[in-house]
Amino acid sequence: MEGEAVIQELIDVLRTLLFPGFLFFVILGLFFEWIDRKFYAKLQNRVGPLYTGPWGLLQPLADFVKLMAKEDIVPEGAIKPIFSSVPVFALALSLFAALFLPVCGPQGIVSFPGDVIVLAVVLTLLVILVFLGGLSPASRYPEVGAERSVLQLLGYEIPLVASILGATAMTVGLGGSLSIEGIVNAQRDWWSILGFQALGFAIFLLAAQAELERVPFDIPEAETEIVAGWTTEYSGKKLALLRLARDVELAFLCGLGATLFLGGPWPGPLVPGLGGAIVSTIIFVIKSIVVLLLLTVIRAAMSRLRIDQMVNFAWKYLVPLSIFQLLLAVVVAPLMIHLLTL
Amino acid sequence: MGLVDWARLRSPWVLHFNTGACNGCDIEVVAALTPRYDVERFGIRLVGSPRHADILIVTGPVTKQVEKRLKRVYEQMPEPKFVMAVGNCCASSGAFRNCYNVYPGLDNVIPVDVYVMGCPPKPEAIINGVVKLLEKLKKLKGGAS
Ligand code: SF4
Repeated sequence: MEGEAVIQELIDVLRTLLFPGFLFFVILGLFFEWIDRKFYAKLQNRVGPLYTGPWGLLQPLADFVKLMAKEDIVPEGAIKPIFSSVPVFALALSLFAALFLPVCGPQGIVSFPGDVIVLAVVLTLLVILVFLGGLSPASRYPEVGAERSVLQLLGYEIPLVASILGATAMTVGLGGSLSIEGIVNAQRDWWSILGFQALGFAIFLLAAQAELERVPFDIPEAETEIVAGWTTEYSGKKLALLRLARDVELAFLCGLGATLFLGGPWPGPLVPGLGGAIVSTIIFVIKSIVVLLLLTVIRAAMSRLRIDQMVNFAWKYLVPLSIFQLLLAVVVAPLMIHLLTL
Repeated sequence: MGLVDWARLRSPWVLHFNTGACNGCDIEVVAALTPRYDVERFGIRLVGSPRHADILIVTGPVTKQVEKRLKRVYEQMPEPKFVMAVGNCCASSGAFRNCYNVYPGLDNVIPVDVYVMGCPPKPEAIINGVVKLLEKLKKLKGGAS
């Protein structure tokens, strides 16, 4: 009995550290950066990273290793504890969020009722970290970037949370639940995106793009205006960790999109035994890649907005739309299901 | 060759700094970064902040006024760092030779690793310059500049 408990504990630790936990998401993050860059290059009629490993596959890794080996400068006026801990916390938070994703089954490593709300909080905390990372070096450009990132957050946070909450409406017929597992299981034979959630998915894509600070919402790190925005003063190891955190966050948000709207790992778990886990993982990754490609198309097709345009757009169109779709998902859809089943 | 050297050779990030060029060289540097030449194949990226950069690409004659800023940008870059002088003006003050307000060359102000000549040099020449720099790096083998 004792031995079994120890082995179970060991398996849990391995699951968290290796698969589908930290190591898996770090590798997935680097892989996603490669896909993103490669596909972006394709859309611009070029080839992208090519000579680093087969098809340039190791390019993100090479960038990471190079940055790790570079000198690490802390500016003189910086608030050192905050400045140094932001990259570590950013990586830790992104990896923590990734543990909730149902990679190899309908359930993530961590799963409890209400974890959807935890995820929404984590997504906001990541922006607070950006704010701290921008303010702590006491330098002008990062400060402007930090202010912009928070202004931007005011614009897209409500739509992001509304689109995530809208996805929970799928569980209404099944007793209702605010957990990822409930949302995934509710999509067993009918993906959310095929119903009232299509609008929610579109809003989620835009909000995720803003959360990741990618074009057209790369306003906080606009390199043509404010050097490199809030990351300006980061160098060496800290920059490497920040970039890795961004990659993991990218993988996480793509995975979240796939989980909430594209049915997560379904129909993978239908296969019995270990095969189910493998098939689920493959399906989950493919669905995440679909979301990633959509995000890349948005990045390639648009140019950067100004901060006022972004906030204007968010409050005039995105917020009303997201509230509308939330009503649609929470009130209209269940009503119609109710009427149809009468 | 260690992992770090391998990574360093494959991910040179460049920062572009104009010290008073007539803009000819700048246009060529920018042209070298367009999809036509696609330097991302080699992992080359243009970055905005000196803190992120590995290679400083300097164009134009170094004027006395820009000297302080140039030194500061150079000092802000983390080690190991390299400098590339693009254009005749930058290497030897070119068309502005003997002007009262320019230095005779970039190496009077900061150490230079590679010179790319031409007025202005073609984008191919600039990319070749980066390749030469990487070859030099390979010989140094992990040593800082
Ligand atoms: S080298 Fe020629 S093109 Fe370049 S800055 Fe000097 S004059 Fe202009």
